[in-house]
Amino acid sequence: MKKLLLFLLTMALLTAGLIAGGNTDSAAASEKVTLTMGSWRTDDVEQMDRVLAEFTKTHPGIEILFQPTNPPDYNATLRLQLESGTGPDLMYARSYATGLQLFEDGYFADVTDVPGVQTAYDAGTRSPWATAEGKSFAVPFVAVSHGIYYNKAIFAEAGVTVPETWDELLGAAKKIQAAGYIPFANGLGDEWDIAEVVFMSIAPNFIGGYEGRLAYEQGKKKFNGPEVVALFEAMDSLQPYLPSGYKALGYNDSNALFATGQAAMYFDGSWTIGTFDGVDFDWDVFAPPVPKKGDKGYVCFHADAGMTMNAATTHPEEARAFLAWLSTAEGARALADNLPTGFFPMSSNSISIPDAHANSFLAMNKGRGTDVRWAWPELLAGTPSGYDLMMNGSIAVLTDEMTPKQAADAFVEGLALWYPPAQ
Amino acid sequence: MPSIGQRRNRPGNSNWNWIFYLLPALVVYTFFMAYPLLNSLRLSFFTGSGFELSRFIGFDNYIRLFKDPQISERYWGDFKNTWIFFAVHMIVQNVLGLLFANLLTRKGLKGSDFYRTVIFLPATLSILVTGYLWKLILNPQWGALNLILGKLGLMGEPFAWLGEPSTALITISLVSSWQWVGMPTMMFLAGLQNISGDLFEAAAIDGASRGTVFWKIKLPLLRPIIGIVAILTFVNNFNAFDVVFAMENVNGAPQFSTDIMGTFFYRVGIAGQHPVGIPDRGVGAAVATLTFILLAIGVSLIMGIANREDRR
Repeated sequence: MKKLLLFLLTMALLTAGLIAGGNTDSAAASEKVTLTMGSWRTDDVEQMDRVLAEFTKTHPGIEILFQPTNPPDYNATLRLQLESGTGPDLMYARSYATGLQLFEDGYFADVTDVPGVQTAYDAGTRSPWATAEGKSFAVPFVAVSHGIYYNKAIFAEAGVTVPETWDELLGAAKKIQAAGYIPFANGLGDEWDIAEVVFMSIAPNFIGGYEGRLAYEQGKKKFNGPEVVALFEAMDSLQPYLPSGYKALGYNDSNALFATGQAAMYFDGSWTIGTFDGVDFDWDVFAPPVPKKGDKGYVCFHADAGMTMNAATTHPEEARAFLAWLSTAEGARALADNLPTGFFPMSSNSISIPDAHANSFLAMNKGRGTDVRWAWPELLAGTPSGYDLMMNGSIAVLTDEMTPKQAADAFVEGLALWYPPAQ
Repeated sequence: MPSIGQRRNRPGNSNWNWIFYLLPALVVYTFFMAYPLLNSLRLSFFTGSGFELSRFIGFDNYIRLFKDPQISERYWGDFKNTWIFFAVHMIVQNVLGLLFANLLTRKGLKGSDFYRTVIFLPATLSILVTGYLWKLILNPQWGALNLILGKLGLMGEPFAWLGEPSTALITISLVSSWQWVGMPTMMFLAGLQNISGDLFEAAAIDGASRGTVFWKIKLPLLRPIIGIVAILTFVNNFNAFDVVFAMENVNGAPQFSTDIMGTFFYRVGIAGQHPVGIPDRGVGAAVATLTFILLAIGVSLIMGIANREDRR
């Protein structure tokens, strides 16, 4: 019996010693303030470290550590961290409902009066990270754009030019196929890309961009109306021009088909620019074609990430200083110079971006309206989400499981289960 | 304390040292197995948006799981898929394992160590590696399988094995069977090597054919091993997640045809649905609890059968 007690006592002492030892370590670094930053961009460690180093140059007392999480787990992980009091001081904020929820639960700080927030961004740019009353819960940080990559050599060989209408796009695809190339590199294997970079990329042209989207969200237009049916018809019309075996080809396969010059066109987002840096052919991007000649064109320019601070941070002054810095000309320059290619700073202070292809993406916005991905502002808040319905509908028409009309009907029926404007 | 000591104080058992041998395992088991299990049982009666599910709702999570058409359709679809996944393993993986073990113990077989290594090798690889490997082999654009079938003239158009709802689940089950076939092979091999050589000698003297030896001697004596293999296959397949995750992502593409209970639980209870990614941990815990009950019933049934065979 005594032995047992002795053993337990020793164990307890040992554990206590270990914990105490851990405490003394963390007390040492008190002179310099170190903030942590949460993110879902595991690919950007190097680039963000450079941005943060720029900040430390002008704010010598503050050091920021970039600590990203595996992208699919970010939302759940961040919430766990915040609830258990171990959240980062600064963090990437998802736009719309996902971010708003964390603000309403009291985890994101109110950043409305951080210097620059009201002046460096217009109201539209702030809106993905603002409440209905206009309170900002994050500083607009980066946006991504969507478009169609094309191989200039194949276009020249097949004798096609950049199409402006959907019919011209299909005509070009037909010629490219006749010339022995795969017209579009996209596939269905990974599911998300068909929804985000094809359906939601072409959607603004069919539903009339930002204004058009509001009409659906206010219940003025039907979610299975003629525009939406036309949108699903456009999805359906791509089927003959997808690679053989497209049902099992994933996102990486599509990248490879375009990068190896086997496919002439590729619906994708600006974040892929860097992937095609080293290919041995000329390529560029064009905006998704409009349904009919003379229609106003739109580009899906998506508010991807905001930057916000933890409401419970122990260093609120330092965290605010960083947010304010982001909105200054100096901060915008640091972002433009260092962010990975294809991620665009959102402040109106933005300086030109060095990469030519990234500029092609930005140039698409000239003379066209822009809007975020259709599902994001309102359609993610219930089950089934608008995102899932767009994805499953797109896949269904491309695998002949549904007609475009049926897909549009399924879209409105699914939304009607929880979303009043669709009822 | 002394009173407990006195109560347990039987001749030759007054020493408490044995508890030190038990303690580490007991502590690890209690904190890392029993506590989480009981806690997830408890969580299945709660709801909330975060870390601490705070609101007690009785059986609501279970009612939603079965009554909410959105959720129950998925749950029963995945229930069925999991049984198919399990059946393919039982039929392909375990029968092949038995066959391989039988061949490996054949007298005069040259290079049996080599074959044994080859058969077991896939089981030592990470499923992410084998999943990726097989995705490449099955790729309709540049995969080896379609190339070979095409060259043999067996197939014209490349076929999307992982893209058709009718073939995807079977394909994935076969890949998983390929990876794990080494496990039952090793267990059956050990079982066969334990059978006394006298029996085979006696059979040979009696002039028994190979088939008779297999059906009348080997198979009956392997029964306990078959029981264990069946239990392991059952438990591993109803908990399976990784092979689908590696080859078809969390939604069990195409059209949920490869969605099994493991991926469903992951989506509902851990990751949430892309792109929102906020899980419903209460329903997730309910799914986990049902899976646990199912496993407990299944394992006791299989064990009951195996034990009855033993007693004969």
